Amino acid sequence: MADTPTISVAAAPRLQRGWRLFIFYSSALLLTGLVSLLFADLLWRTGWSASRTVLLVLFVVLFLFAAIGCMHGVYGFFLRSFGDSRRITNLKNYRDRTIDGISTAIVFPIYNEDSVRVYEGLRATYESLARTGQLERFDFFILSDSTDPDKWVEEERRWFDLIRELDALGKIYYRRRLDNEGRKSGNVRDFLNAWGRRYRYFMVCDADSVMRGETLVDLVKLMEVHPTVGLIQTVPALVNAESLFGRIQQFANRLYAPVFIAGLNYWALDLGNYWGHNAIIRTEPFMQFCDLPQLPGTKPFGGQILSHDFVEAALMSRENWEVWFAYDLEGSYEETPQAMIENAQRERRWCQGNLQHGLVLFAKGLRGVSRLHLILGICGYLAGPLWLLFLITFNWIYWYQKYTGLSDIPVQAFTPYLNNLSGTAHALLIFIICMVVIMLPKFLSLIDLANDWPRRRLFGGLARATTGVVGETIFSTLHAPLLMLWHTRFVVTNFLGISVSWTTQKRAAGGTTWLFAFQRHWGHTLIGIVWGAFMWQLEPTLFWWFTPVLAGMALSIPLSVLTSRRSLGTRARSAGLFLTPEEIKLPQELLSLRSNLKIHELTDDNSPRPPHAGLVEAVLDPYVNAIHVSLLREKQLNPAYVEQLAKLGVGSDRVQMLGEKLLADGPDKLSTGERLLIMADQRVMVWLHQQSWQRPSETLAPWWRGAILEYSRRN
Amino acid sequence: MESAVNTVILPDASGHLAGRPLEEWNAAYAKVENYFHALRIRNKVLLGDLVLRVLERAQRRAPAELNRSATQLAAEEMDRIVTEWFSEVLQSPPTKADQTLSTRGRLALLLADMPGRWQEQFLRPGPWPEEFTSAMRETFLRAGPDFQLSKMTPRPLDLGPITTLQNLGKMPYFRMTLVWAGFALLFIVFFWLTHGGFEQVRTWLSLLVDWFRQINQ
Repeated sequence: MADTPTISVAAAPRLQRGWRLFIFYSSALLLTGLVSLLFADLLWRTGWSASRTVLLVLFVVLFLFAAIGCMHGVYGFFLRSFGDSRRITNLKNYRDRTIDGISTAIVFPIYNEDSVRVYEGLRATYESLARTGQLERFDFFILSDSTDPDKWVEEERRWFDLIRELDALGKIYYRRRLDNEGRKSGNVRDFLNAWGRRYRYFMVCDADSVMRGETLVDLVKLMEVHPTVGLIQTVPALVNAESLFGRIQQFANRLYAPVFIAGLNYWALDLGNYWGHNAIIRTEPFMQFCDLPQLPGTKPFGGQILSHDFVEAALMSRENWEVWFAYDLEGSYEETPQAMIENAQRERRWCQGNLQHGLVLFAKGLRGVSRLHLILGICGYLAGPLWLLFLITFNWIYWYQKYTGLSDIPVQAFTPYLNNLSGTAHALLIFIICMVVIMLPKFLSLIDLANDWPRRRLFGGLARATTGVVGETIFSTLHAPLLMLWHTRFVVTNFLGISVSWTTQKRAAGGTTWLFAFQRHWGHTLIGIVWGAFMWQLEPTLFWWFTPVLAGMALSIPLSVLTSRRSLGTRARSAGLFLTPEEIKLPQELLSLRSNLKIHELTDDNSPRPPHAGLVEAVLDPYVNAIHVSLLREKQLNPAYVEQLAKLGVGSDRVQMLGEKLLADGPDKLSTGERLLIMADQRVMVWLHQQSWQRPSETLAPWWRGAILEYSRRN
Repeated sequence: MESAVNTVILPDASGHLAGRPLEEWNAAYAKVENYFHALRIRNKVLLGDLVLRVLERAQRRAPAELNRSATQLAAEEMDRIVTEWFSEVLQSPPTKADQTLSTRGRLALLLADMPGRWQEQFLRPGPWPEEFTSAMRETFLRAGPDFQLSKMTPRPLDLGPITTLQNLGKMPYFRMTLVWAGFALLFIVFFWLTHGGFEQVRTWLSLLVDWFRQINQ
C-alpha cells in the first residue's frame, strides 16, 4: 500500500528463544549423532563401501527428521505436565478486555465448494457468535473464486437464503471475483483491497472451518492486549469424520497435536507460523508487508507462491510483528479428507507449495525461525523420497554382498563397549531405538492423557484411547510406505516441472470404489509384490523384517477402499475405537452444523442437477436473476472491478452476440468461459431474462424450450 | 393502471378470440401463468385473476397487431404491467434505456417477502400498506459494505543466492559452458570405464544374470 505510512514495531528480545532453540535442536542433533554413530559402527564392522556412505548419510538425515519430531513430543509432554508459562493466552490477562468499537471480518474464501456445507459451517459460526452477544463487532464475507457457472449461481441463491433465514442482511456478504489471479491469497488480497481498511482484524476460515463464538471473541481480545502481535494461529481440531480413515486421522490429531504443538511453541514462541486458516490477522501490517511477490522462473517453482501461509507468517515476522500459536484455545474446527486418495490429492498440492519454499528459504531479511518453519515443511515431503532411497540402497548393499560372495570382515568397532554385541543384535538395537523415537511421542501423548482425567473421559477412557493408539499405529505403519511412494512421485514430478492443477477437495465420506482404488494403487501393489518377491529371493528373514513396508504397498487397494468406508468408521465408533472429544461431547456449533446438514439431506432435492442448472436459474428465475444482476451491478462501484470487467469484455457487443447465441443455440454451443462471460454481464443477464420469457418458443433453441418447460413444471 | 378484468371478450362464431384461435390464447395463458408462478404467486384465485388481467390487455392489442402471436403480446403486456406497478410502488419512473427498474422491483419483492407475506398486494393498485411499501422501498441487497479501497503492493523479496542461480541461465555463454561440462563428464566416464569400470559393470551384470538363473532354478 504505497499511500499508507509504514507501521512498525520494535524487535522483541531474543535471548530466551535463543536458548530454547539451542536446547531443543541440540537435543535432536545429539540424539541423531549418538544413533548415527551406532549405525556407522554397524556399517563399519561389516566393511565400509561407497554405498554404505550413501546409506549412512541418508540414515543421518532421516533420523534427524524423526528426532526433531520426537523432541516436539518430549518437550511438549514436559511443558504440558509441568506448565508452560510462555503461551500467548498466559502472557497477559485478556479475558476482561472489551472489544467495543473493534471491527473484525471473518472471511471464507471458497472455490467450487459444496456451498451447502460451507454455508452451514458459516451459519454455525454465526449463531455461536450471536450467543456471545458480540455479533455486531463482526462481519462475514463469503469470498468466492468459483469458476463453475452452476456453483456460482447456487452460491448466490443459497447466500440469499442464509441471510434471510438469519436476518443477516448487512452482516453476511457475498462477493465473487471476476478472475482467479493469485488463487486463495489473491482472493484474500482482493477482499483486503476492497474492504480491508474497514476492519482492524480479519479472520481467515477454510471452506470446512467452524469456529466457536467465544474463541473468535477471545482471539480479538488477545490481539487487543498484544498490540505487537500480527497473527494468531489456532490449532484446528479435526472433526466430523465418518470414514475409518477420517476417524483415524481425527483421533491422531486430537490426541497427539496438543503435545506436538506445545513442543512447537516451545521454540517458536512469537515467531510462530500460519497454516492458512482458522487464524486471526491484524489487517494493517498484513496489507503492508504480506502481499506476496512472484517468484522468478517458471512453474512449478517460479511464479505465484502456492503455499502462501508460511511465507506470509515469515514476512510478518520479518517486520517484527509477532506470530503466535494459540494452541490451548478450543473451539476451532476443520475437517479432513475421508479417504487415502483424497488425502494424497491434498498432499500433492501442499508438496508443490512446500518445495517452492526452497526458493524463499534464502530470502534476505527472514528470521532464522521462519526459515526453520520453511525447512521443516520442505523436509516433510523430502523425507518420502529419501526413505525410499535408503531402502533401495540397503537392498542394493545386501544383494551385492550376498551375490558377490564377499563375506563380512569383522573389524574392531564399539562392540567391546556394547557387551560384545553380535551384528544382528547391533542392528536390532538400532532398529529398536528408531522405533522408540518414532513411537515415543504417541506414548507420551497417552501418559499426558492419563494425567488429565476430564480429557481422558473425552477419549472414551484410557483403555479405549490406548487401543486407538495401537490401531492408529498399525494403520499408519501400512499407510506410511504409500505416502513414501506418493511423496516420491510428487517430488520427482515437481522437479521435472510438472505443475498441479487447482482442484476442489473432495470432503464427503462417499467412499472409494474398487475400480478407482485400482486405478490409483495398481502401481503401489505391483511395487509391493515385486519388491516382496525380490526380498524373499534375497533372504526370507529379511523379507519378514520388511513386511510392514511391503504389506502397505501390496494391500494398498483394499486398504484404500475399506478405510474410506463410512460403515467401518461407524462400526469402529460403536466399538469405542478412535473416539475424540467432539464425538463424545458434541459442541453446540457442530451439533447445529450436523442438524442443518441433515435437514438439507432430507428436504433438498438430492437428485443430480441437470447440466447448466445454475444458468437456467439465473436466466429464468425472476428472483435469482435479480440477485445475480444486483450483485453484478454493485461491482460497478469499485474501479478495480470496473477495470476487470472491461478487460473481460463485459458490456461489449460480443457478449450481446454470445447472449443471442445462447438463446438461439443453447448453452452446449458455448464454452464455460463464454457462459461465465455472459453471466458476468448484468445488462445481458437482464436481457436474457426478459427475452427467455417473451420470445416465441419457436425462436428459442429446443434446449431452452425444454428448460422452460421443466422449470415451469418444477415451480 | 387498470385494476381488474372489466371487459370479458368472448370467442366469435369461428371459435376465435380477438382474431386468434383459442389454442393460441391457451399458450399465452400458460406462458403468463408460468411467469407469475415463477414469482411464487401460489394463490390460485389471485393467479388466475392476474393472468386474465394481462390477457385482457393483450387481447385489446391483438386486432391491431396481427403479425404477432398471442403469446408475444401477452408476454409484453405482462412485462409492462409488472414494470408499471414496480414504478408506482418504488416511486421510480421507468426508463427505456435499461431494465434497472424490473430487476430492482423483483429484488424488492423478494426482500419484502412478497411471496410469503404480501401476495395479495402484487399488482394491486395503491394505496398499499405502509409496512409493505417501506419494505419494498428501503431494503437493498449488498454484496459488501461500502468499499474502502486500497492497493496492496508486494514488497520486493531479495531471494539472495536463489536469484543468482536463477540468473545463471541468463548469463552469456551459460549453455555453451554447460555443453563443455557435458564433454568433461564424458571424458571422466571414458576414463573410468577404461580403468576398471568395464570390469565393474561386467561384474554387476554377471551377478544379475547369475541371480536370475538361481531364481529360475
